Amino acid sequence: MSRKRPRLVPETFGSRRRRGPGGAGEEPPGGEAGSVRRALRELGELFPRLLFQDALPPIALKSQVYSLVPDRTAADRQLRELRELGEVRVIQLGFDADAQGIVFTEDFRTKALASCRGRPYEGTVKRFLASVLPACGDLSFHQDQMTQTFGFRDCEITQLVNAGVLTVRDAGSWWLSVPGAGRFVKYFVKGRQAVLGMVRKSKYRELLLSELLARRAPLSVRLGLPYHVHDLIGGQLLDIVPTTSGTLLRLPET
Amino acid sequence: MLGFLEARQVGLDDPGRLRRAEATRRVLKLELNKDRDVERIHGSGVNTLDIEPVEGRYMLSGGSDGIIALYDLENFSRKVHYTCKSICSVGRNHPDVHKYSVETVQWYPHDTGMFTSSSFDKTLKIWDTNTLQPADVFHFEGTVYSHHMSPVATKHCLIAVGTKGPKVQLCDLKSGSCSHILQGHRQEILAVSWSPRYEYILATASADSKVKLWDIRRASGCLITLDQHNGEKSKASSEAANTAHNGRVNGLCFTRDGLHLLTIGTDDRMRLWNSSNGENTLVNYGKVCNESRKGLKFTISHGCSPEFVFVPYGSAIAVYTVYSGELITMLRGHYNTVDCCVFQPNFQELYSGSRDCNILAWVPALREPLPDEDDEAETQKNPAFEDAWSSSDEEG
Repeated sequence: MSRKRPRLVPETFGSRRRRGPGGAGEEPPGGEAGSVRRALRELGELFPRLLFQDALPPIALKSQVYSLVPDRTAADRQLRELRELGEVRVIQLGFDADAQGIVFTEDFRTKALASCRGRPYEGTVKRFLASVLPACGDLSFHQDQMTQTFGFRDCEITQLVNAGVLTVRDAGSWWLSVPGAGRFVKYFVKGRQAVLGMVRKSKYRELLLSELLARRAPLSVRLGLPYHVHDLIGGQLLDIVPTTSGTLLRLPET
Repeated sequence: MLGFLEARQVGLDDPGRLRRAEATRRVLKLELNKDRDVERIHGSGVNTLDIEPVEGRYMLSGGSDGIIALYDLENFSRKVHYTCKSICSVGRNHPDVHKYSVETVQWYPHDTGMFTSSSFDKTLKIWDTNTLQPADVFHFEGTVYSHHMSPVATKHCLIAVGTKGPKVQLCDLKSGSCSHILQGHRQEILAVSWSPRYEYILATASADSKVKLWDIRRASGCLITLDQHNGEKSKASSEAANTAHNGRVNGLCFTRDGLHLLTIGTDDRMRLWNSSNGENTLVNYGKVCNESRKGLKFTISHGCSPEFVFVPYGSAIAVYTVYSGELITMLRGHYNTVDCCVFQPNFQELYSGSRDCNILAWVPALREPLPDEDDEAETQKNPAFEDAWSSSDEEG
């Protein structure tokens, strides 16, 4: 036990002091949100576009970001900055209060416009994307906000719900949503259960990460094993144990 | 280390800096020590521990069997191996022992002549330490989950009591009756804590997911109800408005300077709040498993930089840095769920009580003694580690 401990005693008597004065000016401006932006792009690469016939923007989950950026508080802060800059939107995916999807605003806008091309509600959706999205960075919208501030009529709000851009949350409030996200959520929930089941069925309920990725994915895993593994690690549904043979994934005991 | 000493001597550093650095280094080296244990008195789970704030020498423990025991933590025996003996206890054969499980014990904040204990038998008892007789008993209508007396109060001696009912009761020691009731919660109160900075500020946590800050001088209601979304209504469903957690709020702990408040809830989250304006600082500790159906008692270190919070996490204790949310380590050693832990600030030791009836002492791992420091011929050995065979060739 004591062999492993020395790494916990950082340089209390030493380089911590040296790091102090130099720490303030280290991060380049705009580099603060850099690691989360890079993580989001990497996760966007993992997203299977062809599965949805390119109709969906690449959706990354917040838990996946935590897996790539281990310091959660810093990741939260950088995400908030990206939201304030208007670069990303956070979507409530609905199956879990914690599971929030993150999309780049540009991708979201192009795909939403593409999905409503030629439909009767195209104009309303265009107006929504142009006026409401830049103005209000929240996850959800209220009745009075939509009618008074942005001037949407009730029938127009119904058109937006039909288009898939809004989802009903409560009487008089709606979540922002990605059109066609229902299929994604279905595949995601099934895939997550399947990957957890793979670890659960293994002897001692643990698997080496390399072995898990090398296995053939069961048919219910449509979004790809690495996508789900990032989500399970970041959402703390699997524990990571560093071993000499690589990273080990273990089901938590509690 | 020598650099720190030199800087302190010359006057470049303030004296507290060396103390903080050494305290932090010791906290990071906490581990179970074979030479230190606490005598086992309880026959069922240990629910609560408290170390007296004056000297840090005596510790009280309350168990699920209703027994309260008092231990001396100080080692005057000059031996390395030391068992913290129980000096006295209120056992099952005591006429005034609590009938059911003792949930909270606390020393009187100003001296060790008195301590208070509250229990599921709906009473709060004030004990005289020297005679071990109850000086006063307060009766309530519901089981008492938690009580706390302000550590800095000079103008009042009120004990805040959280019971099964939604009203927080304040009992006055001077007059011997309940002087105040604070209304505002809707379900049972699981934890109460006075601020260590202002003697009139009280925080209460309830099963209705809300945490309220009160100024007890104010008659009209609570000062602030903590909101985990900081007023942004869009983040959650509308029923979750103004809640501190998405489940029952189990535990409360102020930081030592009273500027921040940590709360822990059954939604497996721990949150850090700014106690002056009730703002959620949004520090993310990750998943902090919490399956306790009653209060969870956790504690914060004192005199280190950064400060650490020790949270019972199943049968281990998780150590996080308070202001950045990083998980430092998990202290494993108990066989069953850990219920409570306390920090001894003078020696940076942690004592934890669990449902396996043990109290474990986590001591900073000292440097090994150099061989020439050992004057005696044989080293003091714990008889449990000595083996019984002889090394001679004859059969023995």
